[in-house]
Amino acid sequence: MRAFWKRPERGRAGFARLVLAAYVLLALAAPAIAPQNPYDPLQIFGWEASSPPGTSSGGGYVYLLGTDGLGRDIISTILYGLRISLVVAVTSTAIAALIGVTIGVSAAYFGRWVDAVLMRIVDLQLSLPTILVALIAIVTLGPGIDRIILAIIIVQWATYARIARGVALSEIGKPYLDAARLLRLPTGRIIFRHILPNSIAPAITLLPIELGHAVALEATLSFLGLGVPIDKPSLGSTVANGFQYLLTGQYWISLFPGLALFGLIASINFVGEDVRRSLDPRSRSHDA
Amino acid sequence: MKHLSYYCLRLALMASVLAGIATMARPVAAQALRVATSYKLMTLDPHYADLNENNSLLSHIYERLVSQDEHLDPQPGLATSWKRLSDTRWEFKLREGVRFHDGSPFTARDVIYSLTRIRDFLTPPSGGYRSYAKVIKSVTAPDPLTVVIETNTDSPTLPLSLAAIFIMPHKADGFASTDELNTAARPIGTGPYKFQSWQSGEIFRLTRNDSYWGGVPAWTEVTFRVIESPAARVAALTTADVDVADSIPARDVPGLKQRGLKVESASAARSNFLQFDIERETAPGVTDKSGKPIKNPFRDKRVRQALSMATDRSFIAEKILLGYGTAASQIFPSGLSGTSPNLKVTAPDYGAAKALLAEAGFPDGFNVVLAGPAGRYPGDSESLQAVTQNWARIGVRAQPVVSPFSVFATQRAKGDYPAWYGGCSGDAVTFCLDALLASPNVELGTGSLNYGRYSNPQFDAMLAKAKTIEEGPVRSAALAAATEFVMADYPMLPLYHFHLITGYGQKVASYAVHPRGLTTAMQAVPAGQ
Amino acid sequence: MTSAIVGRLSQALLVLLALSVIGFTGIHSVGNPVYNVVNIETATAEDIRNATIALGLDQPLWWQYCRFMSNVLAGNFGTSYIYHLPAFALVMSKVPATLELATTAMLIAAPCGTLLGLLAGRRQGGWIDRAVLKASVFALSIPSFWLSMVLILLGAVAMGWFPSSGRGPTVLLMGQEWSFTTLDGLRHLALPALTLAIPNVALIARLARAGTAEVENQDFVRFCRAKGLSSRRILFRHTLPNISIPIVTMIGMQFGGMLAFAVVVETIFAWPGIGKLLIDSIQLLDRPVVMATLTFVSVAFIGLNALVDLFYAVLDPRVRLS
Repeated sequence: MRAFWKRPERGRAGFARLVLAAYVLLALAAPAIAPQNPYDPLQIFGWEASSPPGTSSGGGYVYLLGTDGLGRDIISTILYGLRISLVVAVTSTAIAALIGVTIGVSAAYFGRWVDAVLMRIVDLQLSLPTILVALIAIVTLGPGIDRIILAIIIVQWATYARIARGVALSEIGKPYLDAARLLRLPTGRIIFRHILPNSIAPAITLLPIELGHAVALEATLSFLGLGVPIDKPSLGSTVANGFQYLLTGQYWISLFPGLALFGLIASINFVGEDVRRSLDPRSRSHDA
Repeated sequence: MKHLSYYCLRLALMASVLAGIATMARPVAAQALRVATSYKLMTLDPHYADLNENNSLLSHIYERLVSQDEHLDPQPGLATSWKRLSDTRWEFKLREGVRFHDGSPFTARDVIYSLTRIRDFLTPPSGGYRSYAKVIKSVTAPDPLTVVIETNTDSPTLPLSLAAIFIMPHKADGFASTDELNTAARPIGTGPYKFQSWQSGEIFRLTRNDSYWGGVPAWTEVTFRVIESPAARVAALTTADVDVADSIPARDVPGLKQRGLKVESASAARSNFLQFDIERETAPGVTDKSGKPIKNPFRDKRVRQALSMATDRSFIAEKILLGYGTAASQIFPSGLSGTSPNLKVTAPDYGAAKALLAEAGFPDGFNVVLAGPAGRYPGDSESLQAVTQNWARIGVRAQPVVSPFSVFATQRAKGDYPAWYGGCSGDAVTFCLDALLASPNVELGTGSLNYGRYSNPQFDAMLAKAKTIEEGPVRSAALAAATEFVMADYPMLPLYHFHLITGYGQKVASYAVHPRGLTTAMQAVPAGQ
Repeated sequence: MTSAIVGRLSQALLVLLALSVIGFTGIHSVGNPVYNVVNIETATAEDIRNATIALGLDQPLWWQYCRFMSNVLAGNFGTSYIYHLPAFALVMSKVPATLELATTAMLIAAPCGTLLGLLAGRRQGGWIDRAVLKASVFALSIPSFWLSMVLILLGAVAMGWFPSSGRGPTVLLMGQEWSFTTLDGLRHLALPALTLAIPNVALIARLARAGTAEVENQDFVRFCRAKGLSSRRILFRHTLPNISIPIVTMIGMQFGGMLAFAVVVETIFAWPGIGKLLIDSIQLLDRPVVMATLTFVSVAFIGLNALVDLFYAVLDPRVRLS
C-alpha cells in the first residue's frame, strides 16, 4: 500500500490522485457542505421539483445543478450519493479481497480435496459473465445497500482466490514454511502470519481495479432498479431516475450525477493503473 | 479495406432501394391505420383471459351482446334490447342480419355456445371470464333471435356482465380449444375488422369487414405494433412510424405537441390509493421514533384521517402526473355512474392533522414502511416519495419500499406490509367497492383486494342492498350513499385517478379515449372525412 | 486432447447445473409469478388459487425443479407464463437482434482498436501513445448506462441524427428477422452499437499496443527497417500478423461478454434482444424464460471461450505442449 501514498512522480497520475482525494473529502464532508440533505423528506421542497440549474430555492440557497423530479437538489444528491458509492465499493472490495485471499491461501495450504472443491467453485464462477452473476445474486438477495455489498463480494472473491492460491503455492515450497511446520506452529498461525502476508501483494495490485469495478457495478445494479432504496438514491439510481426525463429536455437530472460517477471511476482507474505499474517491475521497464 | 467499402456501398444501395419501395407502398394504403400499443396480445382465444391486453385488440374481431359507452353505461351491442323477466331471468333480443366473417349468420346458438364454453369448457390459469359466467344457470333460445338467461341468484347487473363476454361462432363438433384458436384456425367474429395475421407479443394485423352490420368501417387495414417501452412508443409516433400510440407518459406530451402531433386524454375508470393493515393488533414495519415496535396505529380512525389530511394529492396530480391526473376522494372519478358528488378533495392541513394525531396518542408520530410496486402505474413510486415528504411534516416517517409488481404482490398477500400502494379498476364501481372495501368473503367473492381486512358490516349491508337494484339512477344514488358512508371512516386513502393519454398523427382527425383504457381502431376517426 | 475436452465439457455441464439450481430457487424465493398471470385488480382469491394450480406452483419446489429438469432434458424449457409461448423458442426469436447488435459493435471496435493500438505501440511514449493510453482509461471508466444516455442526448435529442430507442424495420433473411439490411434499421443500430463498441475499442487498443511494442523491438522488425521497408509496410505486413493471435482471442472473449452485457444497453435503448428479455422476465418472474435465457447466454459464453482456447491451441504450438 505504500506505493499508493508515496509522492507521485511527474506525470504519474498525480492529477488523478488529487481528484480522487477531492472525491473522498467531498464524500466525507457531504453533510457539512451539501445545501440540503436529500434523504430527509423535511428538507425537500416538493413544489420545486424539476427546477433547471440556477433556480433559487425556498430554502435560501440556489439549485446550482437543478432539482430532480421530486425536488431533491442535484448537487446534494451527488454528494450524498458519492458516500453510498464509496462506502459500498470500499467495503465490498475489502471484504471480497479478505475472503478471496483467505480461501485461496487455504486451498493452497490444505491441498487435495479442499483445493479441488474450492478451485472448482472458483472456476465455475469465473466461467460466467460478472454481470450475470451480479444479477442473479441481487435478485435472489433482494434490494438494500447491505445486499448490494454482498452481491459485489459474491462477484469479486473468486478473482482474489485464484490469484492468492497461485502465489501461496509458490510460497509453500519455500524452506521457511517447512521450518514453521517443523516447529509445529498452529495451522491458523502459519496461514495468517506467514503465508497470507506474503501472498497479499498481487491481491493489492488488483484492489484499485476491482474498486473501480465495484463502483460501476453498484451504479449499474441501482440503475436497473435492483439496488439502493428509492428514498436514498445513489449516483446510479439518480441517473436512472433522470433517464425518463432525458427526452423531455431535463438533461441535468442524469447528466451531472453521471459525470460525477464517471470522474470517480476514471480517477480510481488512473490511480489503479499507476499502482499496478509501480508494483510490477516488469511493466515498469516497459512503460517507461 | 477495399472489400469492406465495396460491401458498404452495396449495403447502402440495397437499403436505399428498400426504402424506396417502402415510400412507394404508402399512398396505396392511404386508409391504413398503424397503432403502437402497450398491450401485448397473448392469445386469440376471446375467452382465455379477462385482461385489457386481450379485450382491447380482440374487440376488433369479436363483439359482445352489450357494449359500454364512455360513461360505462350499457348500450345495445349484438343484442338490441333486454328486459328482466324476474329476479333471476333475463331476456335478450338479438340483432337481425348480423353475419360472421365467414358468412354464417349470427343467432342464439352462438350466444349459448359462447356462454357455455366459458362456464363449462375452459379452465384457463387466470380464471378468464368464469366469474361472470358462473352465475348463469341456463341459457335457452325460444327463437333464433331471442335468448333467455336464467341465473342462480338474483342478478340485476347481468347486462353489465355480458358487456365483458365476446361472442364467437358455434361449432357443431364440440368446443374449440385455446390452442386450436391460437394456431390452426383463424379467429372469426362479427366485428368491424377481420383477422389477417399476428405474431404473439409483436404484431397484429386486421382488414376491414366490408359487410359489417354497423356500416363500412373507417380503415381499410389496421396494424397494431406491440411496443412496450413508453419512450419507444413516443419515438414511433414522432417519426410517423405509427398514426396512434397509446399510454403516452405525461412528461412526453409537450414534446409531442411541439412536433405538431395531437394528444387526447381522459380520466380512467380507476383509482390508485394507499391501504393500511386495519385488522391486526400489531403490524410489521411500524415502530416508534426510536425503532421499538408499537401497536398498529392504523386501527385508529383518527390516525387514518390525520394521514389523509396530511396528503397533498394535488401535488401528485400537478407535479408528478403533470396535470394528467385528477386528485381522488373516492374510488372512481366523480361523475361516473355510482360515484358521489359530495366527496371532495381538500387541500392538506398539516396543523389539524398533527393535532388529530396527538389526540390519537401519537404526538411524535411514528415510523412506517410504505410499500408499492415500481413502474406498474403512472407515478407509482414517485407518489410514494411525495407522500413520504407530506407525512414527514406531521412526524410520520414513512420509508418507501418499491419492488417489481409480482414481488410486491407476493409480500402484500403474505401480510408483510403495514401500509401499501394499490390500484383498482373495473367495468363498474361496484367491482372496486366489492374488492376494496367490502369485508373479505370467499363465498361472495368480495374483499379480494381488501388486504388490510377492513370490515364494516353496516357498509357491507348498504352495498349488498344497492347491488340488488337494477342499473339506473336509483342504484347509482344508493352506491354513492354507501361510498359516502364508508369513506367517512377513512378505510383507505384515495390518491389519484391517472389519465389515459393517447397521441395521434396527421392521418387521424380525432380519437376518443376510453375510460377503461381500451385502444381500438374504432376510436380513431380518419382525417378528411 | 480428448481428456481436456471431456474435462472442459463436464465443467460446463456443472456450471449449467449449478446455474439452474441457483436461478430456479432464486426466482422462486423472490415472489409468486401468479400475480402477473391474473388480472390482480379483478381476480378473486379463488382465481388466484386456480392459476397457481394451473401453473404447477402449488407443488413443492424440489418437485417443480425435477419436473423442470426432466422437461429440459427433453428439450423443453416450458411455456412462458406471460407470453404463453414456448420459452426457448421465445429466446431464440430474440437472438438475431442481440447478435446483430454485438456483431456491429465488434465490427466497429476491432478495426478501430487494432489501428489505434498499432499507432500507439509503434512510438512508445509518443503523443499518440500517451493519448491512446489516457483515452482508453477514460473509455473503460464510463459506466455503459451513462454512455448510452450521453449518446442519446447528443445523437438523438440534440442532433436528431439517430432514433433514441427501438429496433428498425426487419427483413426476413435465412428464416430470421434482421434489421441491418434497411437504412432505418442501421440508424436504429448506430447508437446502441457504438455504446457497446467504445469500451471494446479501448480494450483492443491496449492489447494491440502492448503487442506492437513487444514486436517492434524484435530483431526481425529491426531487420526490416534496416532493409529500408516503409514503416507502414512493416506495421501492417509484419507487426499486425504477429499480434493478431491475442487480439482475436480478446475479440472472441469480449463477444461472449457482450451477449451478457447487452442487458444494460438493450434495456436503455429498448432493443428487443435477449438482454432485455432477461431483465423483463426477471421483473415479471417469468421463470421458464429466465431459465432459458440464462442457459442460452451461459452456453454461448462458455462455448465461445472454449472455441477461443481451441483456436489458441491450434495457432500457438507452445500452448499445445503445455
